[in-house]
Formats: sequence, structure tokens, C-alpha cells
Amino acid sequence: MKKIGELVAERTFLLSALASSSITVAILAFMVFMGLPLMKQAGFYQLLVKPWAPYQGSFGIYPMIVGTGCISFLSLVVAFPLSLGCSFLIATIAPKPVSKGLRRLIELMTGIPTVIYGFVGIFLLVPYIRELFRSGSGLCVLTAALVLGIMITPTMTLFFCDSFDRIPRSYLTAAEALGASRTQKLLYVILPCAKKGMLNGVILALGRAVGDTLVALMLAGNSVRVPGSVLEPARTLTAHIALVIAADYESPEFRSIFACGVVLYLFTMMVTFLVRYLSFAEGRRD
Amino acid sequence: MTEAIKIKVTDLSFSYRDRPILKNVNVDFAENSITALTGPSGVGKSTFLMTLNRLWENLPDADMTGTVEIKLQGRFRNVYAPTMSVTELRKMVAMVFQAPNPLPMSIRKNIAFPLKLAGEGNREFMAHKVEHALRMANLWDEVKGRLNDDARTLSGGQQQRLCIARALVLEPEVLLLDEPTSSLDQTSIAVIEELLLGLKDRLTILLVSHYLEQVSRISDTIVTFDDNTIIS
Repeated sequence: MKKIGELVAERTFLLSALASSSITVAILAFMVFMGLPLMKQAGFYQLLVKPWAPYQGSFGIYPMIVGTGCISFLSLVVAFPLSLGCSFLIATIAPKPVSKGLRRLIELMTGIPTVIYGFVGIFLLVPYIRELFRSGSGLCVLTAALVLGIMITPTMTLFFCDSFDRIPRSYLTAAEALGASRTQKLLYVILPCAKKGMLNGVILALGRAVGDTLVALMLAGNSVRVPGSVLEPARTLTAHIALVIAADYESPEFRSIFACGVVLYLFTMMVTFLVRYLSFAEGRRD
Repeated sequence: MTEAIKIKVTDLSFSYRDRPILKNVNVDFAENSITALTGPSGVGKSTFLMTLNRLWENLPDADMTGTVEIKLQGRFRNVYAPTMSVTELRKMVAMVFQAPNPLPMSIRKNIAFPLKLAGEGNREFMAHKVEHALRMANLWDEVKGRLNDDARTLSGGQQQRLCIARALVLEPEVLLLDEPTSSLDQTSIAVIEELLLGLKDRLTILLVSHYLEQVSRISDTIVTFDDNTIIS
């Protein structure tokens, strides 16, 4: 009796695993297939390095790749110190009730819809940036990166907290008993021990920043030129997809967004493999 | 045996989550001797050690009253005085735990770690101190060829001697040991007991131990805990 039940359960799980993994592969195949005519015509590499000028027949996505790169990298620069401070406060400095409350709050923040961040950015940050620098509309790389940085901070903070929590208590006690101050404990014990877990957090947050659509769409200005400075507008790959998707379905513009999809897909895949590899390396070392 | 007093504990009470752990402990410890603290489990022996170097202060919901005075650098100082820096105190009152707790770094770096914390930057001086501490802990001959190996690759007994060496590298005046041999085999125990006897001339040792044989072998004075206080 139990045997049959187990068999059924096993098969069901196998089926759902197969279904979800084959859907992942199917999506990639679909994007490559749909983008194929344009990729063949212009060449995949050419698409990656050419500018976007549909009227001249150039459907390159180079400006969007640069835009995505700049905005997500800058957002990491914003999020990293914020997350480090938050997580250190939660994990070591704050008294128990405060740290518990803060943690709940940050968990809550990961659930806030992106559009809210975009909204707040438009109403609070955009006018401020416009006044402060007196250059352009305030919709620029910097604005998008700041808001995106704040948006990915909770994710990163929670990862940092988890990796701090995983440090064996005995290491901390050893350092304390040897006369380490709080700062020394952080620098010489906590950070070196948590390095790999923290890197995982940074990589996943980067993945979130690259994959996010709305913040950049609402705040980066969506210009198709390669941005010359952080105060100039730019367009990300995801925003580009969202903007072009309304175009005629047979047009090369529409086809080009599948190239964007492939680039994004490959990027997230790379991130996932990197995280896997790092956790594997960590698991093996211990 | 000298009878000069090193540590004076007066009216010490300690509670954790409103549960009393220690009640009205009054005791003195003599300089340059080994004092064994014995008694059943859970009567506060380990807690008592932690009141001497203030290591309990990171515990939430713990509370202590009473005074602890230790003769440091020739004069008695109240350990809990506002002028007493806790990091300085722990450099002079070192501690070794029940389970060996090497840090996840090389043998050399483990021993040099307290020096690094103290702001020492001279590599030659540090190398000299590392060798000296390892020699004091009778570990030098076993590890001199592999100082860059991860300290966690050593055997349990070697790890515990490494921890003793690490505690000794700053030349503390008091060494607190919390059942340092309870996770070790007979041979390692003998090595560590011999080591402690050899250290007696330089410092004051307080040793929590359950083994009566060990206590009678190496200690000069025995202090017995029961019912949350000292009974003899």
C-alpha cells in the first residue's frame, strides 16, 4: 500500500520537476527562434554592438546593454554600503528586540511592489535631482540607480544577515575573549567568515537589479543614446522590451526584443551558475 | 607557595533571566598557583569564570552584583570600574574554553591574532612571539613545519594547546580554563596538565574541572561550588 503511494508521489514530483525545467529551456528556445530572422539578417554580435536607429534599419541594442550595465552597477554601489551597515546593525550591534523588529521591517520591504518605488522616485527624487544638478529633466541614470539601489538593499541585507548568523558562535567568543573590540571582531572575524555568503547576496541583488523593469522605465528617461554621464537619460534592456512590445509583431523592431531577451536570459543564467559554483565551493571547503 | 592574593571576589551574585546562578560568593585566589573549581554541573562554575573577564556581558538578560578586584600590573583594580577597558582586561585575564575554538585561519595567524588585535605590526617581533607562545604550550615541535596550515586540521589535543598558546601570547597575568580537557584523550590530558604545572610560576591559573583525579594531581587549592555558591 505504502509502496504505491510512494511511487505515485515520486512520479508526481518527477513530472512537476520536468515540467518546470522544460519550460525554462522552452523559453530560451522560443526567444532564439523568434529572434532568429533578425539575428540571421544582422548577426547576433552586430546586434550587440550597433546603435538603435530603426529608421536607418539598425536595430542594435548596444545602448540598452550599456544602460543596463551602468544602472545596475551603480545601484550595487548604492546598495552595498547600505546593506553592510544595516546587516551589521541587525546582526551584532542592536539589542535583540530592535534587531528583530528591523529584520521584520526589511523582510516586509522585499515585498513592496516595484511600481511603488518608481512612484516615490518620480515624486520625491526626480524634482530634487533636477534642482540639485540643474541639468536635464531629472530622469537619468543616477535617479534610477539610486532608487534601484534602495530597492535591492533589503534583499542584500537579508543575505548578509544570514551569512553573519551562520558564523559559529565559538569564533566570536574566541575573538571576544582575546580582547577584540567590536570593530575588530567585524573586520577580522565576521567579514572574512561571511565573505562568500555576502558575495552570493551581491550577485543575487545584481540579478534583481538587472531584471527589474519598472524603476528604470519610470526614472531613467528611456533615451536610446548611450549615456555620456550619470546625469543623462538611458534605457535598460528590460525597459526597451516593455517599450517596443507594442510595435507591429512582424517588424524588425519587435524581433529585436528577442535579442534583448536572450541577452537577459544568458546573463541571469550566468549569475545563477556563479552562485551555484560559489555555494558549492563553500560547501566543499567546510 | 606564596600566599599573596591575586583575585578578590566580594558578595558576587549573578542571575540569568531572573534565575539566580550565583549567590553571595566571597572568595580570594592566591597568586602563582593553580586553583581548581569543582562541583556538580549547573552550579555556576563557568559563569563564575566569565565574571572575572566580563565575558558574560554580551548575554542578554544577565545581571550581576558585587565586586571583582584583580591585582593587575601590581595594584588591585576593580574589574567593573568605568575606567577599566574590557579589551585591556581580557588581554590580562585570558580564557580557554571547554571545546577548542581555533579561528578559521592558519596556525600562525591564530597565535598572532591577539597581537594583531593589540595593534602589533612588526612581523619579526610577531614571529618571535608566536614561536615563544607555541614553545610554552609544548606545541612548537609538532607544528613548526606547518605553521601555514589551517588550525582546524590539528588534532583535538593540539587544538586545545593551540588555544592555550594563543591565550598566552599576550603574557596575561591570569589564565581561566573552563574544563579544558573534557573533550580530550588521556595522552592529551597528561600533556596539558604538565603544561599547566609549568606555567604556574608566571601566572595565576583558575581551572574548572570535574575530574577529581585531575584536581588532586595539579591543583594547590580546591574551591567547591554547590547550591549556587562556594561551600569550601
